[in-house]
Amino acid sequence: MMMMRHSRAIPFSVCFALLVTTAACRGDRRDTGATGTAGTTAVRVTDVTLGRSVDGDKAITDRTDTFRPNDTIYASVATDGSATSATLRARWVFEDGQVVDDSTRTIAPNNRERTEFHISKPNGWPAGKYKLEVSLDNRSVETKNFEVRGS
Amino acid sequence: MGIFDKLGGKKDEKSRADFSDVQSGSSTTAAEPRAPAPVPDIGPTAGTSGQEQTYTVVAGDSLSKIAKRYYGDANQWHRIHEANRDQVTNPDLIHPGQRLKIPGA
Repeated sequence: MMMMRHSRAIPFSVCFALLVTTAACRGDRRDTGATGTAGTTAVRVTDVTLGRSVDGDKAITDRTDTFRPNDTIYASVATDGSATSATLRARWVFEDGQVVDDSTRTIAPNNRERTEFHISKPNGWPAGKYKLEVSLDNRSVETKNFEVRGS
Repeated sequence: MGIFDKLGGKKDEKSRADFSDVQSGSSTTAAEPRAPAPVPDIGPTAGTSGQEQTYTVVAGDSLSKIAKRYYGDANQWHRIHEANRDQVTNPDLIHPGQRLKIPGA
């Protein structure tokens, strides 16, 4: 009796695996077709990192979420997807609710891109907690918290 | 003495942080959007000279750039400025999303 149950379970699992594989293959084909014919795919933000500097590819080279009063604060926003126009917004807010800066950048991304936003304050950042809100086409996609500590 | 303590000391504690000197910028590996793309609401007939059109401002635009695009001459920016006096007081300051009237060529 046990043997029979076991032997019936094997073909079912094989079928399930085949079903999953077929669906995955079909999904791949659909994605490739959309990119090739229309030239655009949905743009999404894949990563937001904070730090003190960026390289030529707009990636953070000195990653941190704790800054000094005289630092320039960089946010690197990674996107994936293609579009003729997509608008990124970086809104920097102090702990008391004051908006420190609000910047937008409209881009025409082609697959993987990076966009950096930076803020500096010649008179020095007040110590405290801050947050960065990143939006894509008016849709909030990520919030990063960071802190400025007095020297 | 007590009055001075109250007036001087507690005022500083309550002062808000001043962010008026904050400077910001951005750069990207992505291309800038092509200029003619965001013009979905062009007037009724394309290519009709004399027709007023509407243009939605995108980041990086200026009146000169828009004039160059529509009239082929950046110096014609003042025509766009004149047509939009109600919403553009400073010709050096236009904002993404703003809809500008473009007088016909």
